[in-house]
Amino acid sequence: MSGSRWRVAGVVASLLLFGWYTLANFFPASVRQDSSWLPDKAIRLGLDLQGGIHWVLGPDLAVAIEHELDVLRASLQETLTEKKVTPARIAVENGQLIVDAVSPQDTATIREIAIETKVLGIARTEGNLLAFKLTPAWEREVRDRSVEQMLEVIRRRVDDPIQGIPESVVTRQGDDRVLVQIPGGQLDREQARNLLQQTGFLEFKIVLDEAPTEELLRKRHADGLPADTVIVFEKEKGSDRVLSAYLVPKAANLTGESLTDARSGMDPRYGWIVNFTFNSDGATKFGKLTGDNIGKRLAILLDGQVYSAPSLQTRIGGGRGFIHGRFDSDSAAELSVILRAGSLPVPMKIEEERTIGPALGADSIRSGIWASLLGFGLVAAFAMIYYRLSGVYATAGLLANVVLLLGVMGMSGATLTMPGIAGLVLTVGMAIDANVIIYERIRDELRAGKLPRAAIRTGFNKAFWTVMDANITTLLAGLVLFQYGTGPIKGFAVTLCIGIITSVYTALVIPRLLFEFYPGNRPVQTLSI
Amino acid sequence: MFELIRPDTHYDFIGKWKYCVAGSIAIILLGLAAIPVIGIRWGIDFVGGTEVQVHFAEGVVTDEARIRDAVQSVGVGEPSVVRYGEADSSPGFLIRFQSGAEDQGAEQNQIVDRIQQALVQQVGALSVDRVEYVGPKVGAELRRAGVKSMLIAFALILVYVGLRFSAQFAPGGVIALIHDVLVTSSIWLLCGQQFDLQVLAALLALIGYSINDTIVIFDRIREVMGIHTAQDLPSVINQAINQTLSRTILTSGATLLAVIALVLVGGEVIFPFAATMAIGIVVGSYSTVYIASPIMLLLTDRKKAGESKVPAKAKKNGKPAKARA
Repeated sequence: MSGSRWRVAGVVASLLLFGWYTLANFFPASVRQDSSWLPDKAIRLGLDLQGGIHWVLGPDLAVAIEHELDVLRASLQETLTEKKVTPARIAVENGQLIVDAVSPQDTATIREIAIETKVLGIARTEGNLLAFKLTPAWEREVRDRSVEQMLEVIRRRVDDPIQGIPESVVTRQGDDRVLVQIPGGQLDREQARNLLQQTGFLEFKIVLDEAPTEELLRKRHADGLPADTVIVFEKEKGSDRVLSAYLVPKAANLTGESLTDARSGMDPRYGWIVNFTFNSDGATKFGKLTGDNIGKRLAILLDGQVYSAPSLQTRIGGGRGFIHGRFDSDSAAELSVILRAGSLPVPMKIEEERTIGPALGADSIRSGIWASLLGFGLVAAFAMIYYRLSGVYATAGLLANVVLLLGVMGMSGATLTMPGIAGLVLTVGMAIDANVIIYERIRDELRAGKLPRAAIRTGFNKAFWTVMDANITTLLAGLVLFQYGTGPIKGFAVTLCIGIITSVYTALVIPRLLFEFYPGNRPVQTLSI
Repeated sequence: MFELIRPDTHYDFIGKWKYCVAGSIAIILLGLAAIPVIGIRWGIDFVGGTEVQVHFAEGVVTDEARIRDAVQSVGVGEPSVVRYGEADSSPGFLIRFQSGAEDQGAEQNQIVDRIQQALVQQVGALSVDRVEYVGPKVGAELRRAGVKSMLIAFALILVYVGLRFSAQFAPGGVIALIHDVLVTSSIWLLCGQQFDLQVLAALLALIGYSINDTIVIFDRIREVMGIHTAQDLPSVINQAINQTLSRTILTSGATLLAVIALVLVGGEVIFPFAATMAIGIVVGSYSTVYIASPIMLLLTDRKKAGESKVPAKAKKNGKPAKARA
């Protein structure tokens, strides 16, 4: 019996462990975190249960492409002016860049220049009229850039420590989507839309003084900061740790309004750089600002926080310039995203929405609880009426299954959705199947004349693979569903998969152990089954 | 011992396979025939569109027609408006409409706000319980992924059953599964219900669950085959089905009990899932007994007939199997 004693210990230990995690689910997060004996992690409620906004956003490609063509038009025009080619018309229309040249030679020149950019392809030609569109590769690039920008902007808004929205989720979904989840009734749909679609505030300021920390900076200006200045910070990405403190003027030297584009690129001298373009007004101001402050650093602020502070080497004229400073491809791309994010509206559109009001969520929780209780009750009643004492054993197994399932979900911080609750109820119904298969087998053995002890052993052994097969196939279907499903449906797949695994364990182990307690080794002639 | 089904039944299940197969085919054909008549009601998950669930404040008296007028007044064409819930004091409505032209995502989103305003002005105070919008692109993706996942699930189970049993068993099991999905879908369609992600999830779970009974019977067929090698296959199968009959009915019945709890008190949010699952469980048990085993028998017969080189018999027995497959 020592073998079985170990098994009892194992079962009890697992029940205690997962019971502890299951228990945690019944306490609010604040209580859990303050308490010294409860685990921090618990099951999260899906948006369909707690209510909230679920948006899948995609870039508005038409707008993004139009903007890209506009930038290309400006640069093409510049090149054409240099080459003294003056087309009759150059404009962006319906996702195409239209150039109406005046002579065949001009047409040839324009075509050559455009093709050389490697981002424009001929859409159609008509006499001296040329229509270009973006090459597929560049269109993909534009799409990727738009998604990056969306992700950056939305994340910044939603994660903002002051105005941000707690518990919200912003992740990339697939290649070209961004998933935004805002739980609870924190924002209505209009507020959420405004929050996501407004542009950030980009400013350029000349750095007057700098130090690693605010304290040091203040020490240097013991008799008060100079008039109209303010201290701003550069923080480590994704944390609140201050990397540098800068003293800058209160009023911006230049704002992002006049920026028309920013993107990362390679420079033979500096490696990775960030190119940017201003409109004509911004170009003049930026030229003067940089010319007057050579050798100083230029702080680039987005919504009041410093993102980068490159030092100015030369006057940057013509409205085009670049920022260099030990970038790698990632950090250069990131800065360009920030610059664009602060200057351009994010061209995005909602591809999918699943928004649930908190009242409906609460309703769902209520009916979910009732359905679970009723489902469990019906199944347990069936087991106990049909199988008597053995049915009580099976019910103990069912109960253990629920504890393990909720415990595992809590431990892994899984999300429970309404379909997830359905999965839980379904699991209870399927868990009893294993017991039915085993018990019917035991009955067969008893009818064949075996004594209870032998019948129990044979029943469990012979039914083992049948139970495994039956559950493995359901698990396969559950895994496919997990792979395919999103949101609530994924929640169903999660409970189903975990529930199948826990139910196999509890259905095979718990009643078996209980049979060892009674009848155990007693020479009983009949079995309550 | 409490026995619902006596262990010593001797029903002839195999003998009736023709009627059963004919019955199943009839239901599937009826479902197919109903498609052009009543049409497949796709949920917005698969075709795109907007669904708004609202309920009015207590005391607001209204009906579908007034809601429809209000919704149309903001420029939505052909909305479908359905009343739900029993509470007459605070009526609830489900408003559905197809999305407009492509690339209307942002606008679509604002349409819901405009509808809400129009309803408040023209009908009375209300709260929006749920907004679901699926753009045409996402809808197409979900549709593709749905079909793909269904095929993958079938393939995985075919492989698993093929590995665990012999190739002789696997086709019967999988054909029974396809049968379950088709018959359940037909019934669902004939009930005028719509197909959405939940229904797909239920059908997928069903694929995994419904094979269970079949495995139990196949296991028993194998066992009986080992014991009574001299017996012919039809009586072996009949014996196996009879021996496992109580199990087949009890397992499905127990799961059905849990699912019925969901149907009864789970609320309308989960109703499509629960109801599909309930139908599917019943269909699944039926097919285990009346479809899976006969198919297995037919496939085996054909093979055996081929080996013994009796072309006439092979042809005769081969036909129904082909018609089912």
